[in-house]
Amino acid sequence: MNGVHRPSSWHRRRRDALAGFAFTAPAMLHTLVFMLVPAGAALYFSFTEWDMISPARWAGLRNYREILFDSDLYPDFWKSVRVTALYALLSVPASLVTGFVQAYLIDLVRRGQAFYRLVFYLPVITAEAAVAAIWKWLYDPQFGLINAGLDVLGVAGPDWLGTPGVVIPALALIAAWQSGTAMLIFLAGLKGIPRTYYEASEVDGANRWQQLGRITLPLLRPTTFYLVVTGVIAALQVFGIVYVLFGGNAGPERSGLSYVLHLYLFGYRNGAMGAASAMSVLLFVTILLVTAAQFRLVPRQYEG
Amino acid sequence: MTGTLDAAPAVATAPPARIRRRHNAPIALRLTAHVVLIGGVVVALAPFVWMVATSFKRPQDVFTPTPNLLPTDARTGEWAGTFANHLQVLDLGGFATATLNSVIVAVVLIPGKLLLDALAAYAFARIPFPGRDALFLVVLATIMVPGIALLVPKVFVTQELGLGDSLSGVIVPSLVSAFDIFLLRQFFLTLPSELEEAAMIDGAGRLRIFWSLALPLARPALAVVTITSFIFHWNELLWPLVILSDQDEYTLPLALQALAAGRVAQPHLVMAGAVIAVLPVIGIFLVFGRRILDGIQLTGMKS
Repeated sequence: MNGVHRPSSWHRRRRDALAGFAFTAPAMLHTLVFMLVPAGAALYFSFTEWDMISPARWAGLRNYREILFDSDLYPDFWKSVRVTALYALLSVPASLVTGFVQAYLIDLVRRGQAFYRLVFYLPVITAEAAVAAIWKWLYDPQFGLINAGLDVLGVAGPDWLGTPGVVIPALALIAAWQSGTAMLIFLAGLKGIPRTYYEASEVDGANRWQQLGRITLPLLRPTTFYLVVTGVIAALQVFGIVYVLFGGNAGPERSGLSYVLHLYLFGYRNGAMGAASAMSVLLFVTILLVTAAQFRLVPRQYEG
Repeated sequence: MTGTLDAAPAVATAPPARIRRRHNAPIALRLTAHVVLIGGVVVALAPFVWMVATSFKRPQDVFTPTPNLLPTDARTGEWAGTFANHLQVLDLGGFATATLNSVIVAVVLIPGKLLLDALAAYAFARIPFPGRDALFLVVLATIMVPGIALLVPKVFVTQELGLGDSLSGVIVPSLVSAFDIFLLRQFFLTLPSELEEAAMIDGAGRLRIFWSLALPLARPALAVVTITSFIFHWNELLWPLVILSDQDEYTLPLALQALAAGRVAQPHLVMAGAVIAVLPVIGIFLVFGRRILDGIQLTGMKS
């Protein structure tokens, strides 16, 4: 369309330019106001002392220094880092392994693929607030469904959300329940593996386990990598579920104090907006670093 | 928060061979797979069954030593299901107002953002104009920024614009989604240019072509964006939480959060609230689920 030469081509170019600007203007203006200005502001405010009421006062690196090193002012910051790291470490593998098994089995069966896909995705589309409310009740130590089920098996279930060491594994279990995204993406990956690879390996006498280990899993590496990266990014930002489960006290001994919950409770709610901004910037940088590290860890090429 | 969906270029898969793996698994293996999958289905659905059952129970039937998957009388075992919890939550729990607020947000936000995103996407895909690629790069770059990183200044900007503490403050900052622009642009790129050329020869302007030609053709892509946006914004907790403080403005996730935070454990009420909050999304998902899942599978986005 670009290079059509016609007598009116100058007119048309001008009209296209006008149309192009007019069509993109609302979106660009919105991006400027709600993305670019806030991005600049986040950085600026992180160097200030600011309560959103009185004007911000320049504070240099003080926010960063206090958050990172002053355990009197921010006693729970490193706790929230540990909680979030542990959560990512447990929840991402939990949902990936569950999602892969689901996808592999769905790919195996002939009938009911659409049904299984739909059911396993339901937990993903359910509101975080509802997920938390439902699981709080499922995990109820006395009357909940889970401990009752364990009772039948002769196991005495723990007080899932009331024991500090059990809280994060309990959250990872919820993440495994919400494995629908991983299931769906793995399924797409499985469908993309050409059948000829399997046929060739059958001729060579490979069994199903060998095919899984030598063909399926290696070829799914890019898919897995994508899911790990997006999964970790999401896990580092976990908020809704812990906020609805634990509210302001963040669980027994603050064992459910995720990074963003800490940011919300000790920055935002306290009116320490400068500090909250600094925590946002730190999180953003962490996400960038973790993502970059993941890219470096994965070999550039994969056999296939 | 802003990004409806986590960004990702199309999911990397193995070579582009379109050959679907045919089912060569022996019947015994397929049956075993079914057995395991059905077990998985039971586990996946049990929490929902537990939620619905509890929501229909009378308070005195909730706390039973053996959990009861049906709303029956704790003593006699007779049917004792009731809508009383749902009605109480709607009325005293503020869920009627919250439902209305959530509907208002969805009804204003979704068409608005569809229009703005599609306009920009169409221009980025089909109209040659100076600086186009640079502008598109800016949009793409914003996909990479995690929403939470901008939380504080976005609240500030929203309040400065006089939108704080109102449903507009929930709606306006979400009116444009970079990811949806990206997605729709990909779709508009696939349209054959002959159609536009023909329309232009007939004297149609860009707006006319966009409205009567491109948009109708983009219906499948618009449907995916509509449904995923609806699910995302209907469920959204953090942004409304930091913007709204007045209970009368609460959307459903906020109302549910407030209810669940109550000092006294009232699972029957909380579960009734949860049912009300998730019902529309599950309904829509069951109707359009297949199409949404195909769309998500193709683009690799997650809600």
